[in-house]
Amino acid sequence: METLARIGRFGLFGAAVARRVFTPPWNTRDFFRHTWLVSTRCMGPVVAVTFPFGMVIGLQGLQIFDLFGAQRMLPSLISVAVLRELSPMLASVLVAAQGGSSFAAELGAMRIKEELDATEVMAVDSLRWHVVPRVLALMLATPVLNVMGTVAGLAGGFVMAVPIQGEPGGVFLANLWAFTVPFDLVVGVVKTVVFGLLIGLVACFHGYYATGGAAGVGKSVNDTVVHSVLLFFAANYLLTSAMFAP
Amino acid sequence: MSWLATLGRFAGFCFDLARANTFRMPPPGRTMEEAYRIGVQSLPVLLLISVFVGTNLSLQGYAAFTPLGGQRLVGMFVALAGVRELAPIIAATMVAAKAGTEMASQIAVMRTREQVDALEVMAINPLWWLVTPRLLAIVLVMPALTVVAIFTTIASSWLVATAQLGLNGTEFLDFVRTSIDAKDLLACELKGMIFGVVICLVSCFCGFTSAKGPEGVGQATNSAVVIASVSCVTLNFLLSQVLYG
Repeated sequence: METLARIGRFGLFGAAVARRVFTPPWNTRDFFRHTWLVSTRCMGPVVAVTFPFGMVIGLQGLQIFDLFGAQRMLPSLISVAVLRELSPMLASVLVAAQGGSSFAAELGAMRIKEELDATEVMAVDSLRWHVVPRVLALMLATPVLNVMGTVAGLAGGFVMAVPIQGEPGGVFLANLWAFTVPFDLVVGVVKTVVFGLLIGLVACFHGYYATGGAAGVGKSVNDTVVHSVLLFFAANYLLTSAMFAP
Repeated sequence: MSWLATLGRFAGFCFDLARANTFRMPPPGRTMEEAYRIGVQSLPVLLLISVFVGTNLSLQGYAAFTPLGGQRLVGMFVALAGVRELAPIIAATMVAAKAGTEMASQIAVMRTREQVDALEVMAINPLWWLVTPRLLAIVLVMPALTVVAIFTTIASSWLVATAQLGLNGTEFLDFVRTSIDAKDLLACELKGMIFGVVICLVSCFCGFTSAKGPEGVGQATNSAVVIASVSCVTLNFLLSQVLYG
């Protein structure tokens, strides 16, 4: 029953945030500050993860295509895999691990030190002032980071195939976009906006309702990463089904 | 240059840990307790995530192979991508997110409450007492979790392939069976163990070097999960290159 109550509280929290997103006043300064901070903090981890993953696809894909003598197909496989699935997922996992958990830690520390109560006492709406900018910042930053992840993943595949395995570079570049269509770019953006929203809501929910001192902050950071990853993997299945399944 | 100093401190941490354990049995009875905790805590999350990874592998394989008329190859795609690469890395990321963050925050909280110093005062080496059981436990548990991830991924993608996409289930399993062999499973186990060691060392290091107070705990937990998952993915590439390249 405890879980059910928490899910209900999460729904109410989401509704409260949504109501404040569409009504003035907006805290634009914090929104831009958080977007900038999240993007710069997550940029390194996102690139550091998607680049090796692109290399791994190159490595494994070459082995399969060698069986059929179809090495030409490798770049098409890499671009499809990276654009549609890997880059949105990996970028979102890293945004949850880095951006989401740092928001949860910040809000949790503010709750524990009673800074959030202090804002309320000064008649400032703490949800509007502290939570809404963070949620919107993650919603904007995740698609941007996804683009960087995509570029890094493709670069990883290129580095694996051309300089390391000695495939001809011109063939690689000529076949890169053979199976991708402009719709794939839309897919990446739609997915990452939804994932960013989910991460932002989960992170702020756990941070905002943190209890129990320093250990509580650690627990809320822990829960943030786990719950947001679970939630957007489930969302990913539904979105992929909606966009690709027959 | 501060990252270089941190790297050096991490090397020092590993050296101290090794020195604390030479010619010494691990703390009695703690290892199985930690193994139970790490394994049982991470299991539900891992199961759910690998179900969704499997479903998506099927969907994407189908979408990618249909233009070529090769829908039958979905089984091969799932086996190669799922077993060789995704299952170990998914298990590692989830253990880092669940058990790794927990280690970091536990140790950071002990640091904040000066319980680590209290251990030192009692002439108990905190590295030996706190890190060694966790390290042994995670090495014990990671291969098992990897196998669970492999099984769940393949089962859920089989379900999607037959029920949602209308492929032939027997043919799917035949392709899975012919595309992977025992060597792939052994490679997965090896990867799992190495990822376990990395996750444990990084998380415990972040916990031990955390600043005091709530922000310190949050910060330590945050950097533990990021550093652990980035280093696992990078190591994954190197291991794949060595094992399959």
